[in-house]
Amino acid sequence: MNKRTVNNLAVGVLWAAAAVTVSVLGAIIHYGFVNGIQVLSPAFIFTWPEGVNAEGGVWPTIVSTMYVTALSMLICTPIAVLAAIYLAEYAHQGRIVSSIRFAADSLASVPSIVMGLFGFALFVEAMGIGLSMLSAAMALSLLMLPIVMRATEEAIRAVPRYIRWGSYGMGATKWQTVSKVVLPAASPRIITGVVLATGRAVGETAVVFYTMGQAIWLPLSPLESGRPMTVHLYLLAVEGINIPAAYGTALLLMIMILGFNLGSRWILKRYRKV
Amino acid sequence: MPRALILAALLVALAAPLSGCRDTGADSQLIVTGSTTLLPIAEQAAQGYQEANEGTSVLVSGLGSSAGIEAVSAGTSDIGTSSRDLKEEEGVLGLVDIPVAFDGIAVIVSPENPVDAVTTQQLQDIFSGKIRNWQEVGGENRRIDLVNRDEASGTREAFKKIVMADDARFDRSAVVLPGTGQVRDVVSHSEGAIGYISVGFVEPRFTDTRVKALKVDGVEPSEETVTSKEYPIARTLHFFTKGEPQGLAKSFIDYVLSSEIQNGVVVEAGFVPVTEGGGE
Amino acid sequence: MSAPNGSTAVAGELQLVSRQTQLKEWLLAALFFACAFLAVLAVALIFIFVGWRAAPIVSEVGLSEFLLGSVWAPTDGDFGIRALIQGSFVVTFGALIMGTPLAVGTAVFLSEIASPRIRSVVRPAVELLAGIPSVVYGFFGVVMLRPIIAEVTGGVGFGPLTASIVLAIMIVPTIAALSEDALGSIPMGIREASFAMGATQWQTIYKVVVPAAKIGIVDAIILGMGRAVGETMAVLMLVGGAPQFFSGVGQPMSTLTSQIVMDMGYATGTHRTALFGMAAILFVISMALVLTVRLLSRLRD
Repeated sequence: MNKRTVNNLAVGVLWAAAAVTVSVLGAIIHYGFVNGIQVLSPAFIFTWPEGVNAEGGVWPTIVSTMYVTALSMLICTPIAVLAAIYLAEYAHQGRIVSSIRFAADSLASVPSIVMGLFGFALFVEAMGIGLSMLSAAMALSLLMLPIVMRATEEAIRAVPRYIRWGSYGMGATKWQTVSKVVLPAASPRIITGVVLATGRAVGETAVVFYTMGQAIWLPLSPLESGRPMTVHLYLLAVEGINIPAAYGTALLLMIMILGFNLGSRWILKRYRKV
Repeated sequence: MPRALILAALLVALAAPLSGCRDTGADSQLIVTGSTTLLPIAEQAAQGYQEANEGTSVLVSGLGSSAGIEAVSAGTSDIGTSSRDLKEEEGVLGLVDIPVAFDGIAVIVSPENPVDAVTTQQLQDIFSGKIRNWQEVGGENRRIDLVNRDEASGTREAFKKIVMADDARFDRSAVVLPGTGQVRDVVSHSEGAIGYISVGFVEPRFTDTRVKALKVDGVEPSEETVTSKEYPIARTLHFFTKGEPQGLAKSFIDYVLSSEIQNGVVVEAGFVPVTEGGGE
Repeated sequence: MSAPNGSTAVAGELQLVSRQTQLKEWLLAALFFACAFLAVLAVALIFIFVGWRAAPIVSEVGLSEFLLGSVWAPTDGDFGIRALIQGSFVVTFGALIMGTPLAVGTAVFLSEIASPRIRSVVRPAVELLAGIPSVVYGFFGVVMLRPIIAEVTGGVGFGPLTASIVLAIMIVPTIAALSEDALGSIPMGIREASFAMGATQWQTIYKVVVPAAKIGIVDAIILGMGRAVGETMAVLMLVGGAPQFFSGVGQPMSTLTSQIVMDMGYATGTHRTALFGMAAILFVISMALVLTVRLLSRLRD
């Protein structure tokens, strides 16, 4: 075979690989949509589960998911942003910075069951907070931390030097520069990072299961238990009795995450001035 | 940045007074935890009870019968639900036993399977792996695919206690599934599979898939044979309280034993009512 | 990059930065450092807590009995996890075998062959795959894939084959994204030099570009492996939950992750300690993989 033929064959294989990847996604979305759309209705979204086998809707699970996600965002973002500021603006390369980065990478790779058991052992039992939104949010924040840290650090580094120099030149302190000049310039990318991390938190199951419990309940206080959509889907799927409701929940989850994904792209596109 | 801090502070401030009104043991909130088998009944009854009694809240969760027993004896829950009887070592915990339903466990196979009946001894040999081919119990020449429940399942506990007596062990090569519907679904589509589920779930509910329930020791599983104790594989579903039930717990338990729940949710969940003369 | 010293005497109105401000700046820097160090603290805490809960396993069961014992039957007092380790290994291996070619192929396609228009379709597709929650993967695997595998293997359809296929799809985004980054960081000039010598695109790819990005791609695969080993929900729903040694791709097995979830709901005493021991092992494996990636990257530099 001459090199032309080999080339064409190989390129064809590569096209096939990409095509398979895209088709798998298409199949998943199609399957989820076709099976789930029949179940989706205002009634499904806004009513409570009813009956022995979770007929009715999924409203409390939607609220639980949004509540814990919002709480995680609130806990994680300030810490991650401040941490990234340290890494980008204040730190000198060395042992400490290296270990911080290693720790962040490790946090990102912790298996979710391990994080779930850790959250259970520390937040639920040792700290006595019990199965609650707060325990779950803290555990989720740990998972989100590396993502937001990295996004923020890159965002800060992307801010051109001359903007900072202009600020120092006017007599601003470091903190004034960071807070009034650098951060606002970096905020679109930071927000994108937060939104992406949140998308990850929405999809977590094991972590939340061991820190929040599974009570079907509309949580008011962060110390209350609840049941997020992922856990609900899991329970529906393994109980195996009300499969239509499972499809509906799965589709809602996918739509939510798709929304986050598209939302983050939109933010980036819209505010791309840097 | 200051804005975010203010927001966070507001949230915490909001949460503090709200969390204050969460008081285990106070009259307005009841914590019920335990068996996943009892979860549907507990949740439904909780909803009905809360609707009928404004201001009360009944929080139900299901992490397993053992977890429920542990929680109620430790005081972290008011009622512990269990789909198994107390073990010997748990007898000293001072728990009061209130039966709330009966459950027959049907042994199911695919409708295509020619076998109709087994004996308890055959069941034990099948599930322990001694009998591996359907031929040995009068069926076709086909490998037996065991479908077991997870170890946290009360259904498995009950099946084990009655069928796997004398230290017989479940074969470790059995598929372990965590839910009734899954067992049913898998068995209905695999001609060689055998599993067990609550009697009330043999008939299809949300699907078209069918399974066949085998006669055990000559007795067909049904509500009558379970209540009359003729059918050998049956168990009692329990509510446990530490000491005699009082206050909110007693009120809730009475509600669960009322005919509204017994003939409604309990039957819907596939179980057999305990009031109306059935049982002890 | 140190903070500017306080005094900037420009115009009369500008005051020297007061000691108060210097203190404030220092406190802020300390705050930032504390936040950053939180990551280290968190990892240390995970180590400590999980390790502390798992430690009794050494005295209660014995380390070699735990790691090498072939029977996992907690109700009988057997806590040997060798079959579970094998299960995790088999499922991960299967996922890597199926997922890596697909992922690297897609990455090479994106980096070397795709036009910007095609890339704007394929790249988001890969990202979206990454966003789908594992419980959704598990659910769809149960309802869609399991019956097919049951037909094909004649069993019940739960087992390493089903789990590996779904897991492979789940790690494709991880491996593909990182591989694409690695390929993208190779300067264009290398490719141009290759073309100038008359090489075809494919020859350039496999003789020049990929070897140059080798370490980055290996990093990607290792991280994909980490993801596969740690994956819980999808594997739990598909692998069959039978703590036995490999007996056919269509026969059920159990993994470290799936066994923890199955047992955690009712495990007490030594059983629970054993589960924490398994969690500790998983944590150590994931950190070891992260470490490997760092060391490899250092090699590159």
